[in-house]
Amino acid sequence: MTEMNMVQALNSTLDLLMSKDSSVVLLGEDIGKDGGVFRVTDGLQAKYGPERVIDTPLVELGIVGMAIGMAVNGMKPIAEIQFQDFIYTAMDQIINQMAKIRYRSGGDYTVPMVLRTPYGGGIKGGLYHSQSGETYFAHTAGLTVVTPSNPYDAKGLLLSSMQLGDPVIFLEPKRLYRSIKNDVPDGEYTVPIGEAKKIREGNSISIITYGSMVPTVLSTVEKNNVDAEIIDLRTLLPMDLNAIMDTVKKTGRVMIVHEAPRTLGMGAEISAIISERAIDSLLGPILRVTGPDSPFPYRMEDYYLPNEKRIMKAVNKLMTFG
Amino acid sequence: MSEESDERSKFIKAYTAMVLSRTLDKKIMSAQRQGRVGFYTPTMGQEALQIGASMALESDDLIYGYYRDVPLMLHRGVPMENIINQIMGNSADEAKGRQMPSHYTAKAFHFMSVQSPVATNLPLAAGAAYAMVYQKKKSVVLTTFGDGSTSTPDFHAAMNLAGVFNLPVIFLCENNGWAISLPVEKQTKVEIWTKAEAYGIRGIRVNGNNFVETYNAVLEAVKRAREGKGATLIDAISFRMGPHSTSDDPTKYRSETVEEGSEKDPLVVTENILKGKKYIDDKMIDGIKTKAQKLVDDKFNECEKIKPPEPMTAFTDVYKNMTWMLKEEVEDIL
Repeated sequence: MTEMNMVQALNSTLDLLMSKDSSVVLLGEDIGKDGGVFRVTDGLQAKYGPERVIDTPLVELGIVGMAIGMAVNGMKPIAEIQFQDFIYTAMDQIINQMAKIRYRSGGDYTVPMVLRTPYGGGIKGGLYHSQSGETYFAHTAGLTVVTPSNPYDAKGLLLSSMQLGDPVIFLEPKRLYRSIKNDVPDGEYTVPIGEAKKIREGNSISIITYGSMVPTVLSTVEKNNVDAEIIDLRTLLPMDLNAIMDTVKKTGRVMIVHEAPRTLGMGAEISAIISERAIDSLLGPILRVTGPDSPFPYRMEDYYLPNEKRIMKAVNKLMTFG
Repeated sequence: MSEESDERSKFIKAYTAMVLSRTLDKKIMSAQRQGRVGFYTPTMGQEALQIGASMALESDDLIYGYYRDVPLMLHRGVPMENIINQIMGNSADEAKGRQMPSHYTAKAFHFMSVQSPVATNLPLAAGAAYAMVYQKKKSVVLTTFGDGSTSTPDFHAAMNLAGVFNLPVIFLCENNGWAISLPVEKQTKVEIWTKAEAYGIRGIRVNGNNFVETYNAVLEAVKRAREGKGATLIDAISFRMGPHSTSDDPTKYRSETVEEGSEKDPLVVTENILKGKKYIDDKMIDGIKTKAQKLVDDKFNECEKIKPPEPMTAFTDVYKNMTWMLKEEVEDIL
């Protein structure tokens, strides 16, 4: 057991994976000597060489396409897109190749790979270093989408992702890269894909959240003594249906908090799932506290990100409903 | 076997595959007009260059092709049923009837499943080539695409990656002069083979209607790739004798044609090469054509009788394990 932040947890997990299996390679921009712009791959090229920690030209669709070609041919690539905001030129590769190869080849070819990318705001990155684009991926059959909210889950989810046998979009909340430390086991363990975690017991209200918003939700609830149950989804596709249903039925009041824009965000799907299956358990409307339907601002980013004030406003609205 | 008889049998095999492909092409086109097939992208006019390329490959080389590669597949030994069953989308189709016609898969022949968005196979070919080098395998990767593909970012990305990483890839541009309705002169201002220079790889142009010329060019490219000398872009000039697909009428956008049986038809070019070498005569040609027609008719009729896939196959292979959402949706549908 070692206390570490998320960057350290991811780095040591990549190291572990590479030391055990020579078919694991990393590819991305500036991931070699530079160790990646967030240092997640620091030291790995020196240890494993440039053939296994591959500095690529600056071409996201090429990184993804190449990784797919490797995965189809017996390798286990872990590709990095420097910022999730830069992934869009690779969307054709992700949606039309990566996600569809198993299906369109009748199961002949598979794409066991992980595509890591930091997402979310709070680092003064403005429009193009702050986006939360999880919905784009979660809308695509064939992909699996995960996002850890702490170092322990980061390691466990990465190890699970590499065992899945299908492509995984691994979204890393960059704001939390160094802000939280956990005790992380030194050996192997898994955080099962598709399994949410109840990170706080409560009886009056359920807050469903994930990734970058988890610490904000937790501190808000504790500071204000809200009797809230908090669910950290951890996997966004496929979501943990049972965890959602159990908490809805227990408290009858549901809020969803995410950083991505509201319209057609994950909250819309969660809300639909609940209303289709448990509308008679509800004591009030399903509320969403999310980023607004605007681009991500630079100077005024604190106004964009859901915060204590907005979360408490929704909590109070829901608790006093009816 | 002497060198000459070795060449003779190779060339006759090539011609036989060309005839077979042409016969199948016409059969599918006519079946489509009769409503027996939904859609098709004919290959007429590109037989010689594809078969020339196939002749230069070993059985464990990889192919990242596109939706017009039937001649190449047939020459490589992919059973004709594989192609017809795919066109029919029946229960014997390797990809379970999931893709529209012309999107083949033949794993046993290392022929990667084909996508529709053009040139997106090229970065995969680069990755596959990286894997071959990394795994210390001798296989090289052939990837094919049309002239329209050379305008895409994927073409640029793959050529650049192949250059930077010195990958064993052969980029075979099946330059048939047309991207649906756009002529190649409006696709790009320079000759396609010259683009190689920008990526530090070798670029050459060949007469794609001459299978021997294409064969020699691909053979040289394969040899270089296997020796670690990197990638080659081959601009194989041919002509799309048919429409882009069964859904367009080329008379609307082009006046230029190459008639079947004319001197520019790659089949006629091939016949003349073989006749010149005295490998073949008119009687043999007739025999090969008659045999091909019978084979195509028989196989087509056989495949047409095969049942459609089970409905459930529309929903499997999305993931290794079906998600709860899809299970629920399938229950609702079936």
